[in-house]
Amino acid sequence: MSKSTSEAETLYVEVHRRMIENGEWDRMLHLLSSKLSESGWTDDLLHRAKENSRTMDPLSLQTILQELLSHAQTSVPLSVKREITTLIKQFVKEQFEK
Amino acid sequence: MSASPDSTHTALFGEESTFSNEAHPGIEPSVSSDASENDIDRCSHLASVFADPPAKAGIVDKFKTAVAWHARRTHDSLHPAKRRKVSSPTCDTCDQALSRPFVCLHCSFAGCWSEAHITNHLKETGHTFCTCTDTKSGSVFCSECEDFVFDDIIDELHLSTVLLVEEQNTKFQVAKRGREPYQPWVPTSDDSTALKYIATVPCQGRRGLLNLGQTCFLNVILQSFIHNPLLRNYFLSDRHNSRLCKHSDCTCCEMDNLFTEIYSPTNTPFGPTSFLATTWKVSAEMSGYAQQDAHEFFITALNQIHGTCRGSTNISCNCIIHQTFAGQFQSDVTCEKCGTVTSTIDPMLDISLELRSKSGEPATDNTLASCLRRYTKPEKLGAREYSCSKCTKASHEAVKRLSIRTLPPVLSFQFKRFEHKTSGKAAPQKIDAPIRIPVSINMAPYTTLAMNMKDGETGYPGPDAMYEYDLFAVINHEGQMDNGHYTNFARFRDEWYRFDDDKVTPSTLSDCLASNAYMCFYVKRHLDYKPYMKPTYLVARENDIVREQAMEREKEAARMKEVDDALMAMVGGD
Repeated sequence: MSKSTSEAETLYVEVHRRMIENGEWDRMLHLLSSKLSESGWTDDLLHRAKENSRTMDPLSLQTILQELLSHAQTSVPLSVKREITTLIKQFVKEQFEK
Repeated sequence: MSASPDSTHTALFGEESTFSNEAHPGIEPSVSSDASENDIDRCSHLASVFADPPAKAGIVDKFKTAVAWHARRTHDSLHPAKRRKVSSPTCDTCDQALSRPFVCLHCSFAGCWSEAHITNHLKETGHTFCTCTDTKSGSVFCSECEDFVFDDIIDELHLSTVLLVEEQNTKFQVAKRGREPYQPWVPTSDDSTALKYIATVPCQGRRGLLNLGQTCFLNVILQSFIHNPLLRNYFLSDRHNSRLCKHSDCTCCEMDNLFTEIYSPTNTPFGPTSFLATTWKVSAEMSGYAQQDAHEFFITALNQIHGTCRGSTNISCNCIIHQTFAGQFQSDVTCEKCGTVTSTIDPMLDISLELRSKSGEPATDNTLASCLRRYTKPEKLGAREYSCSKCTKASHEAVKRLSIRTLPPVLSFQFKRFEHKTSGKAAPQKIDAPIRIPVSINMAPYTTLAMNMKDGETGYPGPDAMYEYDLFAVINHEGQMDNGHYTNFARFRDEWYRFDDDKVTPSTLSDCLASNAYMCFYVKRHLDYKPYMKPTYLVARENDIVREQAMEREKEAARMKEVDDALMAMVGGD
């Protein structure tokens, strides 16, 4: 593993921890949820999960998760992604520029 | 596997009997999401634990602790006054901070889901259950079933624990006093005896409605009433008994008859002829066989039902229509010169939303939320439209802003798709612009309370329970203004159905959402009640009893007097 990858990992863990302790994680999650709901992403996933499970035999949580995961990640609207990424960048900047 | 808003619905509205195939042979049974709520299909591992009181107590306590911890933490992190360091547990396997803690229900282990740390813990220790603390309803993962299991007891515990935390941490805004602790309804021994002899019927009723000649506008509104949980509960509880009602041309009785038909054992389509006839008699402008606007009929019907409902008044009425649909708007006008704000409060039964901005251009990517934002956007009033009472000068620039002051239990939205063009062309245009509506919406950003919080700083307008609504019916219109057809979608629990007059078919959520709504209806997920008050129906019943007893006494006294008079006549006549 290259040095920059493990540095990135350490930074990630640290940012993650600080966001949670700060309450920022919860606030951002709230914002993200409402944006994803407005864009129809949440409802689309709900519909897919339901319709997939209707005909799934045997019904398995792991299968549903697998089927949905990649679609869920790729179908996040670009504008939402950009907005949240900007907020995260801002947070990191504030936290580490002291 | 996602948490169903209707499991909360079930916990809130009480045990509802499960879907019975016999009563509705013509309708395809839904692949039962009811299975999880049916005792027979309950997770056997959970069932066996719950059968043993000390084991049950252990699981229940841990579950409640986990839920309460998360509820408090959410409240703290969203409430600006309490922005202190929020507790952050770490995973017992990898030490990373847990954004979504999964907690073992047998020991104090907490761990990550995504790296399978929690599931590995369960396998290694033989502990069976864990719970995810950040779901909206109780969900417990059973490692034997390798699945999330849903259980009425767990759901109820989740609801009551979250409610308890909210009660302790939030207060009434104006009166500045605490909330009344929630007490679930418990049947008295009289109630239990009465309930023993009651025949249960399936709580879902679906029947097509025959088109009586361009009456699809009537049918879609009636279907929206039929699937409206508050109206359904009112009429199924026999609160307006058409056989005892003394009104003539009573639309409220028509509603009672409608529900009787819907919940009768037959499920073939029927024609709402007497409803239509009564509507015509009461509102002459609705009569005739021409196509009417569904929204106009909706408002007319609401007013008719209100008028014939027991206990309806003209000021702060408490009839079922107002209890269900009535909210309030607040209009704030700020004078630009002196800053005085004049507020007016107006009642409303529904919200009509524009699809175009003031300049007349259709907005791109219209969603319900964007329409609501447009609706509550501050708007400049022209110099001639307003004169401030405080300033000495006559006309000023002012800014007007609408917001929702009180949210009703059922929110009805109408999208203004029919525009009467005043410029030259006589024919009114229909706006077919697509609108995206969500399955659930949080109404907090559009309320007076939230909008009045300091700009920039996001205030805490109260727990989400006050603001969350779930879609239950959508009305669609195809074709042109005077030459079109109405159809609708409606939901029972988790399943969506499409209604086209007499044709009822199972449908899906995505068909409903893609259908381009004309009107849509949302029901609040958690109902609120005034604290420490006797319910009005109980007060009414007590008054009735007092009145009946007084009448009995009068009758008895009159009878005694007759007997006395007869005796006197006999004695005197000697």
